[in-house]
Amino acid sequence: MKKLSTIIIMVLLVAEGSAQIKEQKQDTLYKSRVLESTEIDILTSYYSQDGDNAAVSGGIGTEKLTDFTPTIVVSIPLNDDDVLTLDAGISSYTSASSSNINPFDGDHEADPFQASSGASRADLYTNVTGSFSHSSDDRNRIWSGKLSLSNEFDYSSFGFGGSYAWLFNEKNTELSINGNVYLDKWKLLYPVELRSFTGQMGDDEDGEDERIPWEKITGHTPYNPSFNGFNDESRNSYSLGLGFSQILSKKLQGSLSLDLVRQDGLLSTPYHRIYFGDKPDSFIENFQLADDVERLPGIRSKLAIGGRLNYYLNETFVARTYYRYFTDDWGINSHTASIEIPIKISDKFTLYPSYRFYNQTAADYFAPYEQHLSTEKYYTSDYDLSKFSSNQYGFGVSYTDIYTKLRLWKLHMKSIDLKFYRYERNSSFRANMVSFGIKFTMDDL
Amino acid sequence: MRKKIILLILVSGFLVSCTAVKEYEKVSLNDPDMALATKKTDRFETNFQAYREAASGANGGKTGGGCGCN
Repeated sequence: MKKLSTIIIMVLLVAEGSAQIKEQKQDTLYKSRVLESTEIDILTSYYSQDGDNAAVSGGIGTEKLTDFTPTIVVSIPLNDDDVLTLDAGISSYTSASSSNINPFDGDHEADPFQASSGASRADLYTNVTGSFSHSSDDRNRIWSGKLSLSNEFDYSSFGFGGSYAWLFNEKNTELSINGNVYLDKWKLLYPVELRSFTGQMGDDEDGEDERIPWEKITGHTPYNPSFNGFNDESRNSYSLGLGFSQILSKKLQGSLSLDLVRQDGLLSTPYHRIYFGDKPDSFIENFQLADDVERLPGIRSKLAIGGRLNYYLNETFVARTYYRYFTDDWGINSHTASIEIPIKISDKFTLYPSYRFYNQTAADYFAPYEQHLSTEKYYTSDYDLSKFSSNQYGFGVSYTDIYTKLRLWKLHMKSIDLKFYRYERNSSFRANMVSFGIKFTMDDL
Repeated sequence: MRKKIILLILVSGFLVSCTAVKEYEKVSLNDPDMALATKKTDRFETNFQAYREAASGANGGKTGGGCGCN
């Protein structure tokens, strides 16, 4: 993969050198601002899902989850060439995945097909990203850098990255390169019944009651799994992205992009239970106690190649298409294809019907509930790493007012977007999502 | 896989050699719906896909890291 990326970088450098020779001296002396005024995007989404193959309960049980995410993105022109963008969001979610880490703290019998109603059922994910971009006087070169922070109950992240884009051939061609590093850290939260084997037992920081009704244990007793916690709490991700876009005619343009990613550290999720087929089963109420948690290799390399092709059919219709091939060294191969047909029904309103197909092969380490053996080195029953295909149907509507007539204080409304998605796997998994965005431009204060 | 990448690069080379479209001919290409990037509201879609699917990247969204996703 390193050789491959080296070859591609060399090709890009050679292309830049040769094109510089050809570059026409058409760069205008007049320099317009990269961003005329401050722009504010207020975005939000509501997401819900359900299914019967929860990873927290070893491949069986409810995957119920709801998530509400308000986000604000503010882009500020610092001068003619530079733009500062601040992006902050809060994701408020309730999930069976987090609640069934401790299925015994609710007001009903513990059951993998019912989310616990205890304190662990809801939490917050917060993230802040700041980015800065600089454009050259001829607007043919753009540099940018970014810093990001995020935090949730069991995971925190610090990230940084940069990118460089170069336009040439009368801005018909663009080459870009970007790199990102994420230094993440887990808070090691194991399934509650395994914590007594790591010395983690007790009331946690949220005051959550972690007492387990051991007197109700049925099936195999005594419950005494051979469990060792993880030593590594970190997860580091390094990505290199290359992009190429090209205008092909007055109505057709396309792009190719390639992402190379390497991750190391704790790539397993510490609270995903595993039930081995060669170990006896113990239960409390209707909930089976874990034999272990998922164990995945400490290194993963990914390669994604994607292409977009957009065609302007006429004043009413545009066709937007996308395809991606993905492969990694865990044995996953995937194809994604999507199409969206924006339909302009007036000068202000556009409709966005869309369809997306996705499929993937299973990771080498995946097996369903009770199918793993305790003699294996790596194992997971996370159905997100299983073989599946999915269909996604979307419909959106957009209102755009290029004259920004609607005003609120110093804000001028530019556009409103509303979209709905329905996602269906070839299993019991289903998800729905509604997203909403409103864009304002702002007068100088 | 390497052959596919080389093929992509060669195809890219042919595309670069196409006749350049002048600025005044880009009326259709400048339509916002012709952008080769996704809209800001589409970030939520790519985020949930990064959590629920093993594949990610090459779409302007997450490639891994920064979240407890795949």
